[in-house]
Amino acid sequence: MTEGPTLRSLIGEHWNLARTLRKLEIRFDPERCSGVWECYEVCPVDCWEPDYEGSVVIFHHGERCIACGACVLQCPEGAIELEVPGG
Amino acid sequence: MATVFMKWLERRPQDYDRGIQLLTLGKLGSLQAQIVHHLIFEETRVLEIGCGTGELTLIMAQAGAEVTAIDISPPMLAEAERKVDQAGLADRVEFKVLDAALVGDHFDGGSFELIVSSLTFSEMTTQVRAYVLKTCLTLLAQGGRLAILDEVLPEKLAARLFYSAVRIPLRFLTWLLTRTTTHPLRDFTTTLSHAGYTTEVIASELGGSLQLMIASPGKEPGGMAFPRTVLGRLQHHTSLRTLLIDIWATFFRILPPYPKIEPGLYAVGRPDPNSVVLVTGNFDLTVRRLVQAIEGKVSAWVLVVDSAGINVWCAAGGGFLNAERVIGALRVSELEEIVHHRDLILPQLCANGVDGWLIRREASWEVHWGPVRAEDLPDYLVAGKDKTDAMRWVRFPLKDRLEMVTATLGFYGLIILIPVAIFLRELFWPIFISLVGLSYFYAVIHPWLPGRDGLMKSLPLALIALAGLATYVLLWEPLPWPRIFNWSLGLIGLSVFTAAELQGMSPRMRGEQANWGWEVIIVAALGLTYWLVPQALGWR
Ligand code: SF4
Ligand code: SF4
Repeated sequence: MTEGPTLRSLIGEHWNLARTLRKLEIRFDPERCSGVWECYEVCPVDCWEPDYEGSVVIFHHGERCIACGACVLQCPEGAIELEVPGG
Repeated sequence: MATVFMKWLERRPQDYDRGIQLLTLGKLGSLQAQIVHHLIFEETRVLEIGCGTGELTLIMAQAGAEVTAIDISPPMLAEAERKVDQAGLADRVEFKVLDAALVGDHFDGGSFELIVSSLTFSEMTTQVRAYVLKTCLTLLAQGGRLAILDEVLPEKLAARLFYSAVRIPLRFLTWLLTRTTTHPLRDFTTTLSHAGYTTEVIASELGGSLQLMIASPGKEPGGMAFPRTVLGRLQHHTSLRTLLIDIWATFFRILPPYPKIEPGLYAVGRPDPNSVVLVTGNFDLTVRRLVQAIEGKVSAWVLVVDSAGINVWCAAGGGFLNAERVIGALRVSELEEIVHHRDLILPQLCANGVDGWLIRREASWEVHWGPVRAEDLPDYLVAGKDKTDAMRWVRFPLKDRLEMVTATLGFYGLIILIPVAIFLRELFWPIFISLVGLSYFYAVIHPWLPGRDGLMKSLPLALIALAGLATYVLLWEPLPWPRIFNWSLGLIGLSVFTAAELQGMSPRMRGEQANWGWEVIIVAALGLTYWLVPQALGWR
């Protein structure tokens, strides 16, 4: 038995990571959103749209999301998460 | 006759405005706006030498300056006064009919933080010019500066030719229409240096013939010494080193060594305590593109944070660039001792790894997410750190696609072509042309190919490649079946490879690594077909 990562386990890990990255989807909790629009400010592919009346945002172009994670990191309220649906 | 001629020669203020407008092709206003943008703050005490009809006077007063404006011509001054009155800013501006040569007699030493002059120095004789420059030295307060906006004779030969071809007829026409003209200054930075100033050209228009120069009293290079922690001034330049780096980055960008620069605080232009602070990573190409984008337009402090020589997006995604690194760089550079504000501008594309709130909380600096592309920085800053949507979104235009294909080809081309050159020498050129042609073709049509990821897009690409092969066989050279078969397999393989690999280069796709497994499977299947089918058909 070898200790630590083997070439096979490394490739496997990489492969799994890539597959996970593909499946990730945004989960947005409008209840927690305080409308600072940082997500809109940082999303490079225009997924978020400020709702000027409601002081929240709308996740209006989910299909464009490249799972870069910028909105998740910059949301001060923890209202956004990237998850594998059902997983 | 003589009276008619004199009447014609008489220059009315409105004519002057129109003439200058025509002569500078409307560019004077944008440079005047830059004076206001860079140098005017609330209650800045300004002396304007030769205010003419008061265009600059007005916008400086609007920006909050307290202006003393002099001009030798009473009708011009009257027009300027009318404009300022109309804007309700009469209490901000004091007008004086005065010859520039007499400024020393009318004001106390150290009275002004800024002396500006637009298209006036070029009207003076050499002697008057030298005298006025000397007098200005005493009129300027400590740390004060002289901003000169004027027409200069370009230094470079090509620019001079352009200047002669365009300016001379334009000047003649303008003179005919409005009796207004200007005379370009020759070698004015040298004149300024003799008078005891250090000069920087911060913006220019019309092929370098209309320049905005900022002159600071003092001889030492850089005018004022930089604060201790500043590593130096970044300037756009080309040298053998940058050339080699550019070549490396063009073909082998994905391979280390990543060309990098020493992290730390730098100056671009002539920043002061109010200048903006731009944060970036230490990939050599990123820093140089940033400098190229803002130099001559904005003076700024640039905080280069160690990102292991990787571009900011990948570095932030890979954990090489994070909030702790930025905070560390802030501490080490002692930036809060150097600037009077607490605003950082970070590239938007590092938001996936740099926690803005951590910087705000731990370091008490406000974080602004700047535009995606460095070229947009000047506009973004002029708009008061306001990003338009176009500055916010990543695009993948043709230019970027071609750049990326070249970078990928440099690396993968070697992997594929070296074995081909050794083992399949007679097929080297056809394979080379197929690979390069297919890659660039893919780069061009990428947005129009159906399929969301690279692997899906490889299907239509392969079909197009096969159609190309069929056309070749039908029109030019009827190849025997076994060769058509081999070529089809090869082209399918190359298509899959090209499209799947380039996915990793597109900022608008994700998870490209998951393609690798499929690529291996498809290539293996093609290989198997290559061996088995000819045997089954009895070709070998
Ligand atoms: S993960 Fe990235 S691409 Fe997706 S919504 Fe958030 S910022 Fe936009
Ligand atoms: S960053 Fe978070 S709190 Fe702010 S608008 Fe977006 S989801 Fe709402």
